[in-house]
Amino acid sequence: MADKSGIGREYPPIKWEVERGKIRELVQAIGDGNPIYVDKEAAMEEGYKDIIASPTFITVPLMWTGIGMTVIKDLKINYGKILHGEERYEYYQEIYPGDILTGRTKIINIQTKSGKSGDMDIITREILYTNQRNEPVLKATTVTVERV
Amino acid sequence: MRKEIYFEDLDIGEEMPSLVKDPVERVQLVRYAGASGDFNPLHTDPEVGRQAGTGGVIAHGMLIMGFVGQAITNWIPNKYLKKFGVRFVGMTRPGDIVTITGKVREKKEDGDGKGIVCDVEARNQAGTLLISGSFEAALPSRSLT
Repeated sequence: MADKSGIGREYPPIKWEVERGKIRELVQAIGDGNPIYVDKEAAMEEGYKDIIASPTFITVPLMWTGIGMTVIKDLKINYGKILHGEERYEYYQEIYPGDILTGRTKIINIQTKSGKSGDMDIITREILYTNQRNEPVLKATTVTVERV
Repeated sequence: MRKEIYFEDLDIGEEMPSLVKDPVERVQLVRYAGASGDFNPLHTDPEVGRQAGTGGVIAHGMLIMGFVGQAITNWIPNKYLKKFGVRFVGMTRPGDIVTITGKVREKKEDGDGKGIVCDVEARNQAGTLLISGSFEAALPSRSLT
């Protein structure tokens, strides 16, 4: 059972420097051959100032900083019983190599619902990322389902 | 250089060019684990998968969302993408061939400019739904008014 007293809780900000190589590794794993993620000239031809991060890149700081696991442990969620329910992004501006992102995490809601296969806790978590100029770049909302 | 895509060129119901991915490979899941930092062994260790009842390894949901993102930004330039969200519905296994399709649901004109809302989904070779979602994009207009 997720600890419902965690609703509204905020976590210490995470910091992440965006590396060119991490952008490339992710699109290569996906098999996305769009040159704007790997080739600066191709990206500049399309109006960007450098290569940019792909639409799901923000999962990289999430996983590598361990903030997702921090939240799971803090809310006493059983890691072996969770499913990734939903992922939603709002994009405010491009993410470039060298950007230093700060992610501020907040628990939006924890609800218990009854399903066909028993009760589930639905945990909604939001992370707002800003860059080194303190401009918002992206908001990520994740819905995690814990079978209880 | 890609051809510009304008608000006026798209109608409600218009289909996004579909993307058929190569079969998901086991080594691709290892690569995705390393790239993304998601080392949950359900995605790389068949024994853990068997114990968890998934019958072997399953793909990261975020990898399949990445496929959907690829399909979207093959069609609409990344810089026009404003929102993108998905629900994870089904499990993807090595060997599965994932196809991504999409359709314009709504055309919007408001104070923020002009744009489209599209539904997207990913299915496997058996037609099983893996992901359903939507995205919003702001688009340039042919008219200046």
